[in-house]
This record gives sequence, structure tokens and C-alpha cells, in this order.
Amino acid sequence: MMERAQVIGSIALRNVRRQARRSILTASAIVLGIGLLMFIRALEAGAHVMYVDSATRMGTGHISIEHPDFMGSQDLVHRLAAGDIALAMQEVEGASPPGELGAVFPQVNVGGLAQTAASSIPVRISGVDPELEGEVSFFADKIVEGRYLEPGDQLEAIVGVGVAERLRVELGSRIVLMAEGTGGELESQLVIVSGLFRTGVPEVDRGVVQLTLSTAREWLELDGDATSLSVVLASDDRTGQITQEVRERMAAAGAGPDRLAIRPWWEAMPDLYAGLRADTVQTYIMLLVLLAIVALAVVNSVLMAVLNRTREFGVLRALGLNRSAVGAMVMLEGVVLTLASGVAGMLLGFAIALGLFGDGIDISGLFGEELSFAGAIVDPVVLPVVQFVDVAAIFIIVVVIGILATLYPAWHATRIEPAEAMKTDE
Amino acid sequence: MTPSAEGSARNPAVEARGLWKTYGEGATAVHAVHDVSLAIERGEFVALCGPSGSGKTTLVNLIGGLTDPTRGVVEVDGDDVGAMSERARAQLRLERIGFVFQAFNLLPVLTALENAEFPLMLRGVEREERRKEVLELFEHIGLGGLEDRRPGALSGGQQQRVAVARAVLGAPALVLADEPTANLDTAASDALLDVMELLNQERQVTFIFCTHDPRVMRRARRIIRLVDGHVERDAEKEPGDLPSWVLEPVGA
Ligand SMILES: Nc1ncnc2c1ncn2[C@@H]1O[C@H](COP(=O)(O)OP(=O)(O)O)[C@@H](O)[C@H]1O
Ligand SMILES: [Mg+2]
Repeated sequence: MMERAQVIGSIALRNVRRQARRSILTASAIVLGIGLLMFIRALEAGAHVMYVDSATRMGTGHISIEHPDFMGSQDLVHRLAAGDIALAMQEVEGASPPGELGAVFPQVNVGGLAQTAASSIPVRISGVDPELEGEVSFFADKIVEGRYLEPGDQLEAIVGVGVAERLRVELGSRIVLMAEGTGGELESQLVIVSGLFRTGVPEVDRGVVQLTLSTAREWLELDGDATSLSVVLASDDRTGQITQEVRERMAAAGAGPDRLAIRPWWEAMPDLYAGLRADTVQTYIMLLVLLAIVALAVVNSVLMAVLNRTREFGVLRALGLNRSAVGAMVMLEGVVLTLASGVAGMLLGFAIALGLFGDGIDISGLFGEELSFAGAIVDPVVLPVVQFVDVAAIFIIVVVIGILATLYPAWHATRIEPAEAMKTDE
Repeated sequence: MTPSAEGSARNPAVEARGLWKTYGEGATAVHAVHDVSLAIERGEFVALCGPSGSGKTTLVNLIGGLTDPTRGVVEVDGDDVGAMSERARAQLRLERIGFVFQAFNLLPVLTALENAEFPLMLRGVEREERRKEVLELFEHIGLGGLEDRRPGALSGGQQQRVAVARAVLGAPALVLADEPTANLDTAASDALLDVMELLNQERQVTFIFCTHDPRVMRRARRIIRLVDGHVERDAEKEPGDLPSWVLEPVGA
């Protein structure tokens, strides 16, 4: 029995070789299709890594720690106490393996008004610590005029270019910020524009003002409190794991989920996460259509091979192979053909993604003026990223295509009647 | 082995009783094989002749289990072929019957040697043993030195001899050959018949071959003439003789 399987296998393999030469077109269709799929996914994955990087560095961090109700209420009543902030900072340090931690910083985030003599607009106001956050802050990278905040700044503030335009202010101009303080009263704070930023995300450029954390705390009577504590990691690879570890440590220290919400970025920024997911699904659907065409090429080529070899199958049956052995032989041929071409295609995809475009590829043509995606920033140069899940998914897709596309030709081969087959000319 | 092993001593190699094969129904029905009864003993060297369309191929396919009888019984070594499952027939062909067709007998991706040893491989014979057997036989039937050629690099006569070698190696009891010389010139036909005769005599392989070539019929030791699916004449004869009735026009 073992011997028979080997014989069938070896004949199938030789036929594939004979076939690969004959149906070089099919093989190249598979190679190109899978190669393209691999490359497009790598590009998309690279873009997603970039979106996540910029989004996390805009303040939320890879991990965000807040009062459980702050996300819904945006009310200072639901803030983090100074003691919890200190405890959390300490546990985050403890939970992060060496080299994984980028920065940990508290922020004060409130909605308010920005006023000048000319006009008054609603803005999102962030109090940030330039010393703790400056290194990783996305805004620090995107200053187009003036400078980012520095430790020791008091009245200095940075505003988006859109904010400056709407308020008709420039560097050195004064703005009055108004927001509700902890006491429930409307409090005002004078700031001086020290820098303008352009992130490329319209909502941010038209509606964000940042001042120092210490000034924000004084203004809103927060003492050592803040609205959030953000953790930026060296990479996104271990976000879930570190989040879990911090949760456990905080719970053990008496600050369970009813007191602190410790969220990875995908929970803290659900819109971004949903956008990325939808993007991936869309790409896979598009590529499945592409692969359906590849599958048709496989069906066609294997079926032609079966039809052209009717006599051969007749001989095999006359020699004593039964129907299922003949079917198995064709299945093997189709699957091996698809697999070999598919793996070659995957290697081609790797080569294009990491070899040809390993230094990045400019995709600014794909977006208009505004370089944003679901509230995240798009850098025009994307580094392709080959993820294990994609490699595994594409490999499985290749195997499934090979099996599905060969089922019909194989079934057809089992239906061949040797007596009829020997009458044909093929 | 199976009951047939003990039965094979007394059963004929092939026996047909009231065998029919009908294609189509009613007015358009064609009786390709029409109430055939015959017995062929082990070691016989039989030519099936008759005009084109007389049912030679159909009869041979019925014996080899490639076609189902419409009525009647056909037995090989006492086993009822018509009653067997698809799998059992495949096994029967693998172990006891060799086929040789008119052309395109060989698998193009295999060498001459691999083609010939194919049934032995399927039956699990050790590599060393089957190579030895094939090489010996090749030497014996004038195929020595050709074992590594692909079918495309062999002449038609050489290909047919490889097919006969395969039929004999795989199934030592019975070889069914459907017009094996139809595509060969006289010299190649004679050479193929020499090989068949040799194997028939040395190994007691039963040969049943369809033909309408008088040169081939001359070599047979028994001739069965079919007309319209029916056995018109069945007689033993001396090798080299050609009875006059085999060439008579139908209905004469
Ligand atoms: N599959 C089939 N369907 C219908 N008729 C067939 C089929 N196979 C053979 N026949 C008919 O059966 C008769 C005998 O055919 P065959 O056995 O091939 O004769 P031979 O081999 O002597 O030339 C012919 O009339 C042929 O047309
Ligand atoms: Mg015929």
C-alpha cells in the first residue's frame, strides 16, 4: 500500500514537471497573483504599523490609563488621582521588559474654547509634560513654525495651523483658553503662541491646543491629578501582553478595573482599530477576487491536462489502478502545481516587499492633500512589513485554492471509463 | 490466496456462458457481443478475428472487466468478473490480467524500465528484484540497452514489446491484446509475435489477441471468428496454417 502511494506520488510529480513546462502560463499567473497579494498585504501592514505608531504618539500611547468613566464623560470629575498616577507609573516600569518602554507621561485633556479679539472656536486642550513626552511626541516632529514646548515653559502653547488660521494668530500672539475647572466654574487661562504644528489630520490641525501640564494643572486646580496616563512602547509587538501585566499588577496593588481603565490602543481608539480591520478585510476581499481568477487558471490547466491524457488514465485503470487512485493522482498534481507556484509567488512577494522596496515606497499618490486615515497620520513613505499571520493566511489560501480548483478535474478523471478512453485519440 | 487459487487447477483461464453486451435500447440497440459461450484453457495462444465492428474489442473488454456484461457470465480463473466490484476488478487486472492496446500503451513520463515494472511496483515487489526481472526479460526479448529511454525515444515496435513485457510481468496468467500489431510494419509485427510466442511457451502465459491481419492469425494455435458479435467459427489449428474460412467474406 505504501509502495502504491509512492508510485502514484512519483508519477504525479513527474506529470507536474511535464505540465509546468506546458502550462507555464498558469504557473506564472499563480506566481504573479500570489506575489502581488503578498506585496500588497506587506505594504498595507507597513502602512498600518505607521498609522498605529503616529496615533499612539499623538497622546493616547500604546496603553492608556484613565478613570473608567472618563472616556464617556470627558468630565474632570472622572480624573486620575496623583497617588494612582505615581503607583501606575511605578507598575508600568515594573511590567515592561528592558528596552520595551518608550515613555510614560500624564496628560490633562479637556474640551474648551480658544478666544481672541477676532473670534472664538471650540478646541481640544492638552496639558503635556515636555520633559516626559517630548522625546516621543508626534507634535514635536510636526512643528512647522516656532518651537515645541520646553520644560519650564509657563504661558507658552502650540496650536495647529488650522487653529492659528481660524483665530488669525501668529507666533507671539495671545489666546485666552476657557474650560470648566474641577470646581465646576468656567476658568480662563492666557497663553502665548510659541509654535505651530501641521500633522496632516484635519481635525487635529483645526482643533488642538497644547500647553504645559504644570500650567494646565494650576489653571484647572488639579494639583498633581491628570485625566490620563499614557504609555508609549518601543514597538507594538507586546502591547497586549504588557497591558495584561499592568492590569494584574494594578489589581494586586488595590487599583482594579472599577478604579482604573487600563486599555491597549485598540480599545482606547476603537475607530482607528475598526478602520484598520475594515481596510484589511477589504484588501483580502479584493485579493480573493484576484485569486478566484488564479483558481480558474488552475482549473483550466488541470482540466486540460486531464482531458489531454484520457488514454493515459485508461491505461492506468487497465493496469489495475482503481478510480480513487486515479483521482488522488490528479489531486496531487493540481495541489503540487498550485503549491509550488504559490510558494514561488510568495517568495516573489517577499523579494519585492523586502528587497526591491525594503527602504520604503512613496504612496503619497494614493492619498490627496490630506494624509490621514481614521484619524491617524500617513507618512508618504511606507516600509513594507511581512507579518507571520499574513504568510500563514496566504499559504492556507494557496492550499485551499489548489484543492478546490483540482476537485472538479480530479472527479472528471475518476469518471473516465477505460474502455471508452482507449477509443479516443488523446 | 482466494478460492480461485485452488480453482485455477480445474477452471479454464477464461470462460464465457451466454454472454451479451448490448448498446442502446429498442430499435437502435446494437448487440456488440451476442450470446457468446466459449472456454479458453491456460496456456492457449488464441486469435480473435472478424471484420471491423464484429465485437472483438468489446469481448476482450468484457473479459478484462473494463465493460459490464448486459447478460450472461464471464469468468477468469473461475471468478465471475461481471459480479465484481470496481475495486475487485482493479485488483484482478493488477494481479492476473495484462492489457496490450493498439497504441499509446506506455506512460510518457516513465522510462521503458519503469513502465515495464509498474505493475510489479504496485504489487510491492522489492526494487532489486523487479529490476532484475525486467532487465532479464528485456534482454530476452531484444530490448536490452533501451531500459532508460522514454517511450517517445522508442520505435512503435519497441513500445509494443515494452507493453507486452509489462503485461507479462504484472499478470503472469492472462494477456489480452487488442490489435497489438495494427500500427506496426511487417518486421515489427513478426518480432512482437515472436516475443508473445516465446512468453507463451516459456511461461505458459495465456494470450488472447484481436487481429484482422492474416500474418498474425497464421501464428495462432486457435482462431475464434466473430461476426456481428456472435462466434461464427472456433477451431484449433497448426501454427503457420491459415484456414480458408477466416478470410471468407461475411455471410458466405
Ligand atoms: N460504447 C459504445 N456505444 C455504442 N456502441 C458501441 C460502443 N462500443 C462499441 N459499440 C458498437 O459495438 C459493435 C462492436 O464494436 P467493437 O467491439 O469495437 O468491434 P471490433 O473491435 O470488432 O471492431 C460496433 O457496432 C460498435 O459500433
Ligand atoms: Mg476493435
